Amino acid sequence: MSRATTAPTSHTRRTAAPVRSGRPRAGRLRSGAVRSGQPRATRRAQTRLGIALTIPLMAMIVTFFLVPLGSAVYYALVDFNGINPQPPFVGADNFVELFGDPKVWAALKNNAIWIVLGTAAPLAIGLGLALLMWAVRRGSIFYRVAFFFPYVLPQVAIGVVWGWIYDPVRGWLNQALETVGLGSLATGWLGNPDTALYAVLGTAVWATTGFVFIIFLSALRNVDMELVEASRLDGTNPFQRLWHIILPQIMPVFLMVTTITLIGGFSVFDIIFIMTGGGPAGATEVLGTYAYSSAFQLNRISYGTALALVITVLAVPFAVGLNRLQRRLSLQGTGA
Amino acid sequence: MTVTRNTMAPRRRAFLTGKHLLLVVLSFLMLFPVILTISTALKTDEDVRVNPFGLFSSFSLENIVTAWTEGNFSDYVLNSFLLSVPSTVLVVVLSTMAGYTFARLPFPGRSIAFYLVVLGLLVPFFTYMIPLYFQLRGMGLLDTLLGSNLVLATIGLSFGTFFMRAFFSDLPTELEQAARMDGASEWQIFVKIMLPLVKSGGWTLAVFTFLQNWNNFLVPLLYLPSGDYRPLTTGLYLFLGGRSIDIGPLAAGTLITILPVIVLFIAAQRRLAEGFLSGAVKG
Repeated sequence: MSRATTAPTSHTRRTAAPVRSGRPRAGRLRSGAVRSGQPRATRRAQTRLGIALTIPLMAMIVTFFLVPLGSAVYYALVDFNGINPQPPFVGADNFVELFGDPKVWAALKNNAIWIVLGTAAPLAIGLGLALLMWAVRRGSIFYRVAFFFPYVLPQVAIGVVWGWIYDPVRGWLNQALETVGLGSLATGWLGNPDTALYAVLGTAVWATTGFVFIIFLSALRNVDMELVEASRLDGTNPFQRLWHIILPQIMPVFLMVTTITLIGGFSVFDIIFIMTGGGPAGATEVLGTYAYSSAFQLNRISYGTALALVITVLAVPFAVGLNRLQRRLSLQGTGA
Repeated sequence: MTVTRNTMAPRRRAFLTGKHLLLVVLSFLMLFPVILTISTALKTDEDVRVNPFGLFSSFSLENIVTAWTEGNFSDYVLNSFLLSVPSTVLVVVLSTMAGYTFARLPFPGRSIAFYLVVLGLLVPFFTYMIPLYFQLRGMGLLDTLLGSNLVLATIGLSFGTFFMRAFFSDLPTELEQAARMDGASEWQIFVKIMLPLVKSGGWTLAVFTFLQNWNNFLVPLLYLPSGDYRPLTTGLYLFLGGRSIDIGPLAAGTLITILPVIVLFIAAQRRLAEGFLSGAVKG
């Protein structure tokens, strides 16, 4: 695990490769193609085998990804209700309606809260845990497993268990609050419109933190310890060391994790759908659940598809921007 | 020097002990929901009613039996395997084949093909899930194990191809050249020389993909609507909606759902973490 992020030492190169080559690298691809000095017969044989080995993959990608993706654009431009075989073309009507729909704005606001808190909290907690674990040797496997484990659980199972923790009557959270004398705060966490979104968000933070933690932990392994030691001798406090010495060195990884959790915030669906279904009274409705209910419960297929497209379009600038920043930083950082 | 070391040592040790104490408490908090599930699933019916969330206050397998028989979880388990295993095999086989091509075998149009595959890493499933529903219906693949397996496999293929290509890219060229000198065909080079060298990567991909497919909720929710092939994830969701008061069997169902995940996680923790770290490139 520790090998996977950026460690460029020779014996770890193989496992490290998938992560480092995070973006498609045209250069590398081409370098394979221009491998010169190959007799023509060999090249022809390679082409034949290459095409044969790729056809099954491309058939699946085209059929179950590219075609529906193209249809998504088409669906958004017509008015399809799931039945009419020749839906009327309506142009941008779906998008115009979308921008005037107060439910969309309410959902967007929830998405924004989700994105900000759902990104910041796992980053802070994950980094804190990773720093805490940094110098720990004994028992490190146990801690790592314990912190990472929630991330691999199915969302339905997570939803079920956290439903009990938030139970208004006998739930652990209310009981814990009562024990420490904060019984007045106890509430039906998922049923109260004021707390529902934050309750589900808390669950999501619990589930994602382990992932952030494990990425930071492996990034910290590559931090230059001599720099940290030197600054310690210079009398810096731990916070200064974190801010000026450690964070700059793990910045590319930091941005990568930010990108992932942020994009996840746009397309969040499973956990909300399972825990609250968007309720109570729309308090946890996000674009994802709204798109789903529009399409599959109200049969407004085109409207739901247009919503899903908007989610993607909203997320892309963030992804590209952060990715570009990350690339620039990692180029500076490693001199690669 | 010695003086400082003598005074520093106990302080450092106390600091480390404190750190371990904190880590143990935090581990417990992180694992608490899992502990709660196991504890509730293994209680007697009576105890669940009186004291549903008290930890390990009694022991019985009756909830597990109820979930397994009355709750249809025996069917769900079978369906989960029927949805996860074929799709995982498909992902590993096709990704390995294509990954090798994208790393080693040039052909006209290869770059375009690769970019189309990588596009699958950038576009969330969400964007095209609605049109895909109608497409599957038109193809007669809605509500079939075949259709859902193909969709699950396609979701995993972009990452799988990307992942396997990286392994093949890092193998030395001398290997295949030597084999070619010995008169090996391109197919033989792929199967006999290259494949054995990426076995470890293939297993990592298999474990990672299996887990993703096992946990997948949206694909069975959307594309297996009749419930004939309902897997554990949507089965548990249905159970939650219908019998949320039956905490005992619900906990047992949850335990049945996550048990394979726990086993896989403990057996292949490193592989999984590696898969997720590489998967991190997926937006």
